Amino acid sequence: MSTAPDPVTLDPVTLALVQNRLDHISHQMGWVMTRTARSPIFSQSHDFSCFIADARGTLISQADGIPIHTGGGGFAVRAILRDFKSAIRPEDVFLLNDPYTAGGNHLPDWVIARPVFAAGALVAFACNRAHQADIGGGAAGTYNSAATEIFHEGIRLPVLKLIEGGKTRDDLWRLLLINTRLPEALDGDLRAMIGSTRIGAERLALLVEELGADRADAFFEGVLAHADRRFRTCIDRLAEGVWRAEESVDNDCFEPIDGRIAVTLTVKDRRLIVDFAGTSPQIRGFKNSSIANSTSAVFMALASFFEPDLPKNEGAFRSVEIRLPEGTLVNARAPAPMTMNTVFVAHEIVHVMWKALGQALPERASAGWSKAVHAVTAGLRADGERYVMYQWAGAPAGGGVEGRDGFHLIGHLITLGGLTLPNLETYEHLYPVRFRRQELRCDSAGPGRFRGGAGCDYEVEIFTPADYAFRGEGVGAPSSFGAAGGRAGSGGEVVLTLADGKRIQAPKYGVERHGPGTYRALSPGGGGYGDPKTRDPARVLRDVRDEVVSPAGAERDYAVAVTADGREIDRARTAALRAQPA
Amino acid sequence: MTSSLPPLVAPWRIGVDVGGTFTDMVLRDAAGAVRIYKAPSVPADPSEGVLGVLRLAAQQLDLPLSRLLRDCALFVHGSTVATNTILEKKGAKVGMLTTEGFRDSLEIRRGFRDNQWDHRAPFPPVLAPRYLRLPVRGRIGANGKELAPLIAADVDAAARVFANEGVESVAICLFNSFLDGAHERAAGAQLSKSWGGPWISLSSEVMPTMGEYERGSTAVVNAYIAPKVTSYLGALDEQLRQFGLPRSLLLLQSNGGAVSVAQVAARPVMLILSGPAAGVGALKGCTAPGEAANLISMEIGGTSCDVMVMAEGDVPVADQLTIDGYHLTTPSVEIHTVGAGGGAIAWVDDAGLLHVGPQGAGARPGPAAYGLGGEQPTVTDAQLVLGRLRPGPLAGGAVTLDGALARQAVETKLAQPLGLSVEDAAAGVIRLLEQNLLHAVERLSIERGHNPATFTLVAAGGAGPMHGSAVARALGCSRTLLPRAAGAFCALGMLQSDVRQDYLQVFVADLDRLDRTALDAGFAQLEARARDALSRDGFGAADSAIERELDLRYDGQQWPVRVALNGAGFDAAAARQAFEEEHQRLFGHIQPGGRIDITALRVVGRGRLDWTPPATRSPQSAAPTPREKRKVWIDPVYGWREVPIYDGADLRPGCTLDGPLLIEERTTTAFVGPRDRLEVDARDDFLVHIGANP
Repeated sequence: MSTAPDPVTLDPVTLALVQNRLDHISHQMGWVMTRTARSPIFSQSHDFSCFIADARGTLISQADGIPIHTGGGGFAVRAILRDFKSAIRPEDVFLLNDPYTAGGNHLPDWVIARPVFAAGALVAFACNRAHQADIGGGAAGTYNSAATEIFHEGIRLPVLKLIEGGKTRDDLWRLLLINTRLPEALDGDLRAMIGSTRIGAERLALLVEELGADRADAFFEGVLAHADRRFRTCIDRLAEGVWRAEESVDNDCFEPIDGRIAVTLTVKDRRLIVDFAGTSPQIRGFKNSSIANSTSAVFMALASFFEPDLPKNEGAFRSVEIRLPEGTLVNARAPAPMTMNTVFVAHEIVHVMWKALGQALPERASAGWSKAVHAVTAGLRADGERYVMYQWAGAPAGGGVEGRDGFHLIGHLITLGGLTLPNLETYEHLYPVRFRRQELRCDSAGPGRFRGGAGCDYEVEIFTPADYAFRGEGVGAPSSFGAAGGRAGSGGEVVLTLADGKRIQAPKYGVERHGPGTYRALSPGGGGYGDPKTRDPARVLRDVRDEVVSPAGAERDYAVAVTADGREIDRARTAALRAQPA
Repeated sequence: MTSSLPPLVAPWRIGVDVGGTFTDMVLRDAAGAVRIYKAPSVPADPSEGVLGVLRLAAQQLDLPLSRLLRDCALFVHGSTVATNTILEKKGAKVGMLTTEGFRDSLEIRRGFRDNQWDHRAPFPPVLAPRYLRLPVRGRIGANGKELAPLIAADVDAAARVFANEGVESVAICLFNSFLDGAHERAAGAQLSKSWGGPWISLSSEVMPTMGEYERGSTAVVNAYIAPKVTSYLGALDEQLRQFGLPRSLLLLQSNGGAVSVAQVAARPVMLILSGPAAGVGALKGCTAPGEAANLISMEIGGTSCDVMVMAEGDVPVADQLTIDGYHLTTPSVEIHTVGAGGGAIAWVDDAGLLHVGPQGAGARPGPAAYGLGGEQPTVTDAQLVLGRLRPGPLAGGAVTLDGALARQAVETKLAQPLGLSVEDAAAGVIRLLEQNLLHAVERLSIERGHNPATFTLVAAGGAGPMHGSAVARALGCSRTLLPRAAGAFCALGMLQSDVRQDYLQVFVADLDRLDRTALDAGFAQLEARARDALSRDGFGAADSAIERELDLRYDGQQWPVRVALNGAGFDAAAARQAFEEEHQRLFGHIQPGGRIDITALRVVGRGRLDWTPPATRSPQSAAPTPREKRKVWIDPVYGWREVPIYDGADLRPGCTLDGPLLIEERTTTAFVGPRDRLEVDARDDFLVHIGANP
């Protein structure tokens, strides 16, 4: 990095063009991937990210992709550089997934990386990280909630040269295909990943050629330096000091534990130190995080706390030092299982970051999002075909921020709502089920000046016997949090009522087989922002009219009384309620 | 301008497109001569702008308005009234009936976020609030059979609430109604009795697609805009008829086809893209009859650039459209819009990087050069600094460009903070804009599986012809077409659009094991509706066409691929082959022998409005003389050059000239690059051969 030139000597117009061009190239790879991948998870859910690193393995663009992948790509490329050094040659393509040895985040996310050369020298990498449909392991579909070691979670890949000098290593390819339950999907998706990086590499080579191989690196550095300057203006808005936050981790996927994610955020001299000392030791179940995933979660929390258009590259976080104590939930030692980490504990990491940042800049604080409760059911359709149905239309809710209420049942925090919920009509067509309800839960939203989003009351009849894979991190105590005087939303609950009337309270994790029944999920509510007693009474009235808040809840939480017909604010009683000391 | 044209020959056709700043009118007479008029839009009452441009045309043609309208055989209108009703949130107070248990689909929105990183941005307000979304009992099952009867008393209870609350328009979206709309129809009939309001939109009639969120959202948007839009269009039609228009006006729909006021009255939601969708007709006008052309258009106006792809003569129509965050399933031409117009604002961020757009200066205050109080430099201001636009009156004097104001804005807001000369800063703005345009075209073509280098780039809109050469070169295209009437491209397209109605029936079956009787009956019913609609607009068998299409997908996929069926018969093997070809092109692979599911039957009814081919202008006889020469910035390689400026009227078919040069036309300024060659083609448009002048 000592060779980095002074960015002011770069032509500012060319620099702007290069910045846009890099982002466009990572988008182009994403469009090609969406268009050519085999598995619906890519074309519909965009569970992948395309990124570009420079010759040193520094992430220079990740404009495409899901938030929880942001910032993790550099680890993978640096592992390639570490393991292959001068053996990296034109027309090579690398593959890796292992979070312990190869810069992976969790096993299902495979990285394809293609080096780019100009004038004989390595200048960049075009990469794609994508969640595979199946990678072997103890459960179909990559999520094995019974795993206690990474070996139960699928095949581990160190940095491999999958294509050498343009020639695919067929032996290796066959090895990959016999380690999945869905060889056709893996084959098609790997080809799509490789194809997308080919497009990316071609476009990058062209860009470098236009800039001149000797100048390209200076412009890449200019792009990183610009991002650094932008993020430092964000840091300038934070109050200097030491800010602490923690969040409970109340189970290890098997039984209750008294665990936590703890963070100490130091804001000093236009720098941030993010230290997870005090975080609990790694656990038995598959929520342990890797360095790449924890770093991504921190970056995602920082980027989402500030501006949506912050450049998505590692330059933006040069001023951030992250300390991840080894052997803990945020940086587990092998062979701890970790497939769930991109959701949990990534959610908890984002939460503690938001809590700490919210103390340093309260007007920007984000209240917490609630955690998912949805089960996955699998069984046979009437025609004998096996089906797997995600009950995620009963999704968790978002938290409030200054200026807007939380989103009702929006989905996982780690996608910031990026995954789309299904239409129930479509699901009724695909699966042996009949829906009864998908409605907002009254009084589930965390009170606040800007309240949290409401959770969902979701009920579906399931006509045939099925395996219920429960993943109810949001079941039980509230899983969101309030910010700046707001409060958490209510907790979640999942109940299965069988044909004989027997009620089964769902556990947080576990797979159970049951006969036909009715599955009901009450998803938890999002947290509120700001003192609820300062909420505009007109908004409270609207919530009461909408039956998102009950009249009693309006009086209790918001100190707003409505008239008996429920159509107007009772001004006198409201004034009296609001005059009472807290 | 129009004075050089031969005398007007009746009857003629009129296209009127209402834009944010100008209302454009194109008149094409029986001899094929085209005349263009522009008048200021009147946002408060768009019909004023329409009448304004008609009066202007009448005056310039020296005709009474009544005569202008009486001899108008076809009047096609692109109206922004539907779109603006939504953008300005000026629609009706809407109530909604839903199946019990599902009253919140509209507000859950399937969790769609436009920009997931921008989680602080609220959703747009829900158009039917929860307290006016009321449940009714009754249930249609997933097989289309009734599971529980509709409870009329629930409808009556809702009707009382609607009456009490002053609801003006009601949408009804019941679960699974795309399979059987009987409950919706019964609820609608009951509601008419017990509520009595005139505006009721049934989701199964507006657009019977599968998926309660989008179908319901479409019905709600329809209910929201119907009272205002339908009344407005009815009144405008009435007014024009009173002035002498012999036939009811036609409106351009989002599917790129026209429809009569009477037929769109129940479904005004079909008009959301009225205007931009006329690009389909405009592109058709750029092709020879029957030619399966490959064209990519970028229509660049004041605030945005609309990109459209015509592949082998066909612009794809999909069931997805988003307007201001509201989701619709109306058939709509695929348009990719980016915030990159002449009014796009250039700015420097807090870390010293230059950006162009996506925010625009709008019609007011507009670019700094307008002198209307705008201080932010825009693309138009940069063009003035670079000598590419001429200072002075624009569009017949509606605005005046002040070069000094442009220069000042570029200097203070860009050049000084960046440490550049004013000229270099302005050149940077143009380079960034052209990069945005390039990226927008590349995006749509990659997503549709096309190689843009094999297409002709059509650079239209008032600001388009300035950028055609540079963007075509970057795309690797060998040609770019700069329409002479670029600034009235959509109004012109309206004259070249067919009447079109789309019909759909969800039909789920295995392609190789389907019930032929049911399939034929489904198609027959859709075709009967299409024929009926066309005949009500005056089209018979001779001048109409009925096309059958299938939505197909591999088992397990979510998004279907639309495949046309040739002829009236049905051949599963042919359908499979057509599907595989399209799948291969779109996605790069097929599943040989894989199970293919039908998900919907579609029928497109077209009424052909033959259009007079353009009049052939007499060819160029002598080399044209430039109006002047000016110092103009060309590009980063050529820098500043003395460049000839031609009056567009002096360039006739057959004329060829080597760039660099500028052409000043009535509605646009076109730029031909230094390595490129201009040819005025047989249709009298500017065809630029990229790299033909090495």
